Amino acid sequence: MVHDIVVFSGSSHPEIAERICHNLSLDKGKVKLGKFSNGETSISINESVREKDVYVVQSGCGHVNDSLIELLIILSACKTASAKKVTAVIPLFPYSRQPDIPYTKKGAPLVSKPKNEYTFESVPNTPRATSRNSNFDSNETPSKDIQPNEILHQHQAPPPTFKLEQPTPSKADSPNHHHHHSRIPKIPESKENSTSESFSKNHTNSGYKQWVAQAGTLVADLLTTSGADHIITMDLHDAQFQGFFDIPVDNLYSKPILQHYISTKIPNYQDAVIVSPDAGGAKRATAIADTLAMSFALIHKERRSHKSRHPSNATNNELNSASSIESSNNSVSSVPLQQSLSELSVEKKLKFATTMLVGDVKGKVCILIDDLVDTSYTITRAAKLLKDQGATKVYALITHAIFSGDAIKRVKQSSIDKIIVTNSVPQEDHQKELGDSLEVLDVSKIFGEAVRRIHNGESVSMLFDHGWP
Amino acid sequence: MTTVPNSIKLLAGNSHPELAEKISKKLGLPLSKIGVYQYSNQETSVTIGESVRDEDVYIIQTGCGEDEVNDFLMELLIMINACKTASARRITAVIPNFPYARQDKKDKSRAPITAKLIANLLQTAGCHHVITMDLHASQIQGFFRIPVDNLYAEPSVLRYIKEQFDVKNSILVSPDAGGAKRVASIADKLDLQFALIHKERQKANEISRMVLVGDVKDKICILIDDMADTCGTLVKAADTLLQNNAKEVISIVTHGIFSGDAEKKLANSKISRIVCTNTVPINIENERLDQIDISPTLAEAIRRLHNGESISYLFSNAPPV
Repeated sequence: MVHDIVVFSGSSHPEIAERICHNLSLDKGKVKLGKFSNGETSISINESVREKDVYVVQSGCGHVNDSLIELLIILSACKTASAKKVTAVIPLFPYSRQPDIPYTKKGAPLVSKPKNEYTFESVPNTPRATSRNSNFDSNETPSKDIQPNEILHQHQAPPPTFKLEQPTPSKADSPNHHHHHSRIPKIPESKENSTSESFSKNHTNSGYKQWVAQAGTLVADLLTTSGADHIITMDLHDAQFQGFFDIPVDNLYSKPILQHYISTKIPNYQDAVIVSPDAGGAKRATAIADTLAMSFALIHKERRSHKSRHPSNATNNELNSASSIESSNNSVSSVPLQQSLSELSVEKKLKFATTMLVGDVKGKVCILIDDLVDTSYTITRAAKLLKDQGATKVYALITHAIFSGDAIKRVKQSSIDKIIVTNSVPQEDHQKELGDSLEVLDVSKIFGEAVRRIHNGESVSMLFDHGWP
Repeated sequence: MTTVPNSIKLLAGNSHPELAEKISKKLGLPLSKIGVYQYSNQETSVTIGESVRDEDVYIIQTGCGEDEVNDFLMELLIMINACKTASARRITAVIPNFPYARQDKKDKSRAPITAKLIANLLQTAGCHHVITMDLHASQIQGFFRIPVDNLYAEPSVLRYIKEQFDVKNSILVSPDAGGAKRVASIADKLDLQFALIHKERQKANEISRMVLVGDVKDKICILIDDMADTCGTLVKAADTLLQNNAKEVISIVTHGIFSGDAEKKLANSKISRIVCTNTVPINIENERLDQIDISPTLAEAIRRLHNGESISYLFSNAPPV
């Protein structure tokens, strides 16, 4: 029996809140969530929280900004209603990572035209902002050979909000905004076919390098400002993120659950290979490989620069063909799989994305481990690579499965035989789409136990190693 | 020590590009090169394309959009924070329509005071100054520990009334007691009578009964309010006035949010002209709709603030359009 504890659920993921409450033998706290007709978030807390230990469960999924603001409002409402302590339980932390979308070396997002047909051979080509779409070309006329406008319309991205060369917005740019059409330009999730010049080359603003604002610290500060005394989350993309907070953060791990799955559900798991789809996740994957005494492989993506060998009559088309390298993968060792070069302009450095596999997977079952799947490019490409290298079966074990955009479609078409995710974000819709190839592991017990232990002032560390099966 | 930063940088989010353009034109300054996008997972991405180091930064973002209020708010917070981390000397948020302004009191147990939360969030993000217009309750200024300039649309509205209507035959009407002060002030300046409608509200966005205080017989009634949201109040007030033999009803509001089925309600209403300012983009179609441009006031406020001049002139004077 737990006293003086109230667990509220935000609207993003009521199911996990339900389960956490069930694990704690509690009823969910009474809260009414909704929106005013003008779109502002409206909440009302319908039970006393005075001198209570309050937990608010909200995952960073769905309409992320709505979820986040709703969480902030609930936290501050509890705080101003004299709660003793307010803890945010955030299974998937929003803004903890800039997602898997194209960006330039400087971190600027790449706005580009999607390819009609996605193939798993596709590899991101030279990452560079298309000149027109990215708003930065104050005195640059669109280059003749690519018609960025057309690209824009094909993608149905709203036009750039402020075109510096056109002080008066044209009629087409300022339609009667109907609220169903978002005014916020979307970054296309596809990485393919960016054909135009890099902004930094055209751009005359004394070489200022554009950069993308990282919202991580801000989100941490916002939570603290709204009254959070404590944060519980899971598998933060960067463990350093904990340092952004001035309040205690308990970063739980899904590792024990994933390990348990591997050792009980995958036949002859000792002969399988744990694979990390990128270098950043190597530590996470090796930890599991070590614990289970399994072998390990790593997929490494690299962007290499090549100075051109020929002078200057290159066109954008050639540039495009030069950079659309295929990742047909015949080599096993850490050699760039394929490079193609064609005529390039003199000063231009091209960056080639190459994918290489470090380790042997031939005739083996592969288990891909990653913390987050968003657009699913990384994981589906990795699976393709593994199958090409002779893997017999590919499992993917993912903590946070967001599957935004066309991710589900890609996963369906991919070489992944089975994808295992946790319910840190709602999976019902994904389950419907993917059927038996998706398996959902329940992490609510870990969260429930963490809440119980934190409330009782017990140590949480044992959850890091043993989980709560 | 120089206290005036070296130059103005104007930034704008996606909420109201037309207004940002107008302010930028009025000031003769281009909008800074930034990109505000959404990733496919719906997180907001802000790209800064020019230096703001040691500059006086003004970020224009209004509170609007039925599906996007929170998105625009996050855009604003991320832009402010980005400028802060990029060493801007001063960051001013220009928020013509302050979001969540009506969530300004704990009117029942445990109700969130979201306006206060937004104030705190803006300050946490790194905001040094706020310019806004016709705050629903001017007390919201007290929620901030930073200076807030609450501008008035009143001078622009006054000019509009003088230019457009037969003032002698008009009467100003406040659709609720809360707006009485605002209306009385305009009535004084036009030397007109004013009437008041008392409404009894049972639930948010729902009104039950209206009582008119004052004589509107054969007069042109100009209904004045700070915002029109679902327009339930406006339409019922207009009906009440016409039942009391008003000649004509015109409504003038600062923030024309027009959410829910406002479009339909207005189309079926007997209001002969609906006027709002451009603090938020217009999202409905109605041939009786007219707009007052308040960008000159905002632009002038930015200019004065940058130069360290007094803003109070703008409380009683509207700069030329």
